[in-house]
Amino acid sequence: MNDFSIAGSQSSPSIQSDWENGVLAMQGDSYPENSYELFHQVIEWIEGYLAEAGRPLRLELHLLYLNTSSIKAVMDIFDMLEAAHQEGKAVAVNWHYDRRNERVVELAEEFKEDCTFPFMILSHD
Amino acid sequence: MRGQNPLESQVVESLSDPQNQGHPLHETLSQLWEAHHSLLNRIERIARVSDGYQSIVRDREMTLSARFDKQLRQLEKVARISDRYQTMLRDLNIALKEASTHDALTGIANRRLLTERLREETERAKRYSRPLCVVMVDIDRFKAINDDYGHEVGDNVLMEVVRVMEAEIREHDLCGRWGGEEFLLLMPETSTESAVRVIERLREAVAKLRVRVNDNSLSVTVSLGMAQLRADENYSSTINRADVALLRAKRNGRDRYELAD
Repeated sequence: MNDFSIAGSQSSPSIQSDWENGVLAMQGDSYPENSYELFHQVIEWIEGYLAEAGRPLRLELHLLYLNTSSIKAVMDIFDMLEAAHQEGKAVAVNWHYDRRNERVVELAEEFKEDCTFPFMILSHD
Repeated sequence: MRGQNPLESQVVESLSDPQNQGHPLHETLSQLWEAHHSLLNRIERIARVSDGYQSIVRDREMTLSARFDKQLRQLEKVARISDRYQTMLRDLNIALKEASTHDALTGIANRRLLTERLREETERAKRYSRPLCVVMVDIDRFKAINDDYGHEVGDNVLMEVVRVMEAEIREHDLCGRWGGEEFLLLMPETSTESAVRVIERLREAVAKLRVRVNDNSLSVTVSLGMAQLRADENYSSTINRADVALLRAKRNGRDRYELAD
């Protein structure tokens, strides 16, 4: 139901939504020309899901480089999840990183700082 | 609602006293009393409305200030994370630059960096009419070392020879890997006479080197060909002349240097 899928490019992440399973996934680098436009869809979808679905929501993130406006958008998304969590809704974030790029961990930790919902930072090969 | 003050109590008392009912001023005082009351009511109403407005404004100010604080915290966080990403990219850039200009095995300049420096140094030497020497260095019978002992030993020999050469050259000389077992020494501000002193020292130091292979030790030598930049040639011609000199050193028995014509 009203799912979307955006193909990634060198400068923007690929994004898939899965209403049925309550999963939103993003992979890649994010320094798009218009990150408001790109993340607007994502934010709308999450807002809709949290309001209507009545089921848990999970974000699966494989993000590498984020430019400043993408960082802002991701923080806005986490703020939405935090608000939903405060209302007792089940939300979770899994932030995946490549074992060869340990520094992504520090960045994910920064994002995680103000979040009280389940936020996992997971390594893969 | 405020209580009555003494004057007001006195007025109420006088107005209700039966003795005063027929008094000529009774009607006037009674009207004044009513006017006084409606005025008081109005003032109180105005005060209430005004207080209400004030508290609305105050509430709004508090929400705004809370929102402002939140935005400020978010902005600080965005800046902090963004800074970290930039530091990460910058470090990556430095690593990439290092990788693109240095030889992965020996850590010295690669052919790209050598070419860049050759171009700069020949221009400088020509502009200020300063001497510049180029030396081609080749490890003798390196193929045999690889064939007899394997590539790992071959790699060790390369690293050890580089270590010795780096120790023997002077601070402003540049030693880089030209390819395979061939190295190039770039010696700015150096005449043929001073260059010969350096390369003789270098050749002797390499010949004294012993590379461990299990219980044995292996010795290596290098041959060198040297050319000084001429005013009328580009650096490729200088390199070619150094190469020819190197070939002559090989033919004349190796472990020696030859000067270009």
